Amino acid sequence: MSGYLKHILIISVLIPIKLFSQDIIQNQYSYALSLYNSEQYYDAVTEFKRLLFFDGEKEYVYDANEYIGMSYKMGGKFSDAILYFAIAEMNAGNDEELFNSKVEIVRANILRRTISHAIALLDSLQKDKRFTDKQWDIYYWKGWAYIFNDKWDDAAREFSKIDSSKTLMIFCKNVDQEQYSVSFANIISHFIPGAGQIYSGHYFSGFLSLGWNVLWGYLTINSFVNNRIFDGLVIGNLLWLRFYNGNLQNAVKYAEENNLGITNRALDYLQSGYRGIKP
Amino acid sequence: MKKLFFTILIFSSIIFSQEKSHLANDNLFSPTNIKRFADYLFCQKDYLRAANEYERILSLVQNDSIEFKIALSYLEMGNFSEASTRFNSIKKSSSFYKSAQAQSLKSVFQTGDIVQFRNQYLDINSNKAYLDSAGMASLYMFSFLLTEEPLPNEDEFIKTFPIAEKSKIKNFYDWKQDPLEKSPLKAAIFSAVIPGAGKIYANEYSDGIYAFIATLVAGYLAFDNFKAGHDFRGWIFSGLTVGFYAGNIYGSAAAVQIYNARIRFDFINELKAFLEDKNYFLQVFNFCN
Repeated sequence: MSGYLKHILIISVLIPIKLFSQDIIQNQYSYALSLYNSEQYYDAVTEFKRLLFFDGEKEYVYDANEYIGMSYKMGGKFSDAILYFAIAEMNAGNDEELFNSKVEIVRANILRRTISHAIALLDSLQKDKRFTDKQWDIYYWKGWAYIFNDKWDDAAREFSKIDSSKTLMIFCKNVDQEQYSVSFANIISHFIPGAGQIYSGHYFSGFLSLGWNVLWGYLTINSFVNNRIFDGLVIGNLLWLRFYNGNLQNAVKYAEENNLGITNRALDYLQSGYRGIKP
Repeated sequence: MKKLFFTILIFSSIIFSQEKSHLANDNLFSPTNIKRFADYLFCQKDYLRAANEYERILSLVQNDSIEFKIALSYLEMGNFSEASTRFNSIKKSSSFYKSAQAQSLKSVFQTGDIVQFRNQYLDINSNKAYLDSAGMASLYMFSFLLTEEPLPNEDEFIKTFPIAEKSKIKNFYDWKQDPLEKSPLKAAIFSAVIPGAGKIYANEYSDGIYAFIATLVAGYLAFDNFKAGHDFRGWIFSGLTVGFYAGNIYGSAAAVQIYNARIRFDFINELKAFLEDKNYFLQVFNFCN
């Protein structure tokens, strides 16, 4: 009987020691979380890393890595964030955690502008039978991936599949309609030099381009009419074609510049004016 | 049997809990635990956090190895001036003092301030007992390759380096003595005499041939149009000829400058890669294995 008592005494000393150490780990988690919640992301990363280092039971391995990833994301260190989300993904305890960590990887990829990675990951999630009830989330992040890839029409199509994202769908459609067609600007400049620039609102450049092309075109043709074939070839190649190609390049450049302005204004609105979840 | 069961239970619980956790005691912020965590961060190359953690220990206890690791962390982060200051603050009585002086020298070298580097080297050079004294002497000599100053005598220069590096160092020395740079003025004169020749001198063969043909053709067309009474076209081709000719002279000089800049850039890069590979001829510290 005394032997039993001795053993019970030893165990009753050891168990509180073990519980106490777990209590320390739990306190550390709360401390790190409070730093994250108060937006002290650098310190939050340090304390979550400390938690991971001392958490022998690996009780917080998923949460800590997830929060480290989010802290890095908040600090704009997207590659580091993806690394920690990937570790969290490997340590996910259930499908919900697995899905969340994968979505975080997608969001960081969107912000890092590695859109093809984000889309590929979303495609694989879409095919995964474990996540059939998460289709709306997948459409939603695909929409955002397309927004950051400047494919507003595709983004609108993805948002149209979700009932709750009609506002985003309309917004994306409007941005798409507002944008200039780069290929149209290019094509009309082939037929009328300067027309592409005029289409995108750069009238002076358009008429100047037209003038130069008329001048060098006239001189080229005039050389051929006067039987100065070699003159015509040289003027045509060195001057007319140069200005003609410049006109085509300008038409594309101006349309793209205008579109960039429209995209930046739209992204600016989404960043400051849109209240829903963002990457 | 029961005794055995309880003994196994107790031992396994102790061993199990010790194996899985890095906890030395119940306080995560005790100096021992902070040091373990800092060492972990250091070996994970998270040097900024490692330095911060080491600083926490220093606020609790004085430790020269910690001071040395803080300085090394700054060095690894590329904060060379802070690293140098930290290495210099290590006391003479410390066993790390000599290594710290050598590492401080390396830090100053990496700031690019060669004058300060040489002054510091001459200050500490009197102490030949340094473990890194030969390495520091090599680094001192190597610094001459990075400046525009005249190089020391070849024998004197090469003898300061380890035997294994002598042939490579000789190549660097020879290159520095005769860098095979070209003259922009010569390129411009060549192109003024024969359009395109300057470009060929700058190793841009296709550009040279193109410039020669374009200038010649445009000049001929100008002459021929004036001769045929087509003055307007004659002036256009004259303009083109002048443009090609002048542009080619300027372009040849610019091409040689680019050529020179490229070979200087390649040389400096090769020197830096060599130094990195040889750890600046100094002792390598490995606290992680």
